[in-house]
Amino acid sequence: MSPVPAAARKSILVVSRHAHPGSSLPRSALDTALAAAAFDQPVTLLFQGEGVLQLLPGQDSRAAGVRNLRKVIDSLPLYDIETLYVDAAAASALGLPPDALPEGAQWLDAAGVQALLARHDHVLGF
Amino acid sequence: MLLHTVSRSPAHTALRDCVALLGPDDALLLLGDGVYAALAGSEAAALLDASGVTVFILEADAALAGIQGRLLPGATVVDDDGFVALTERYSRQLAWY
Repeated sequence: MSPVPAAARKSILVVSRHAHPGSSLPRSALDTALAAAAFDQPVTLLFQGEGVLQLLPGQDSRAAGVRNLRKVIDSLPLYDIETLYVDAAAASALGLPPDALPEGAQWLDAAGVQALLARHDHVLGF
Repeated sequence: MLLHTVSRSPAHTALRDCVALLGPDDALLLLGDGVYAALAGSEAAALLDASGVTVFILEADAALAGIQGRLLPGATVVDDDGFVALTERYSRQLAWY
């Protein structure tokens, strides 16, 4: 793909804040992030609120007949989505084990999330 | 400067999560079931009041909900044109639902 000029690049923050068995929003958040990355836009993903539950390891989606969301999340670096953040307060409140953090992802406190929301050109909530 | 829109009722986590993460120059527009957060005397209204955030409420949804005469003092009612004007004033928007 031909490189996109720097001026045409907009930083995009995708905020994913729903759990996935009950909603198609998490999948849409990932598809949006992947689409933006395919167009050479710098994408950051934030898992916030109950959205952190998407990160639980050991998901087995075969009986449900859908994609394994955690595997999709783990594959994001292959598509140049390297910046993943996880709301630490929500993870703690909902019991997400500390070792569920994907490789390269970082915990963020409330101040960190505020800074993230403030510094991106576009913010998309799912 | 971010315009946050909340369209879920205050019984859901959307409003609380949003308020916890507001930046200093951000504003909040309540629409859909989100308008119930502006019902004076509710816990959600107290939360909004304590946060100090600038609150806007979509007029048609507030009227539909029947809360137009019971709004949190200090909240500003906007019609559809006002909504559009807000999106011009705040170039970035984040929807909470």
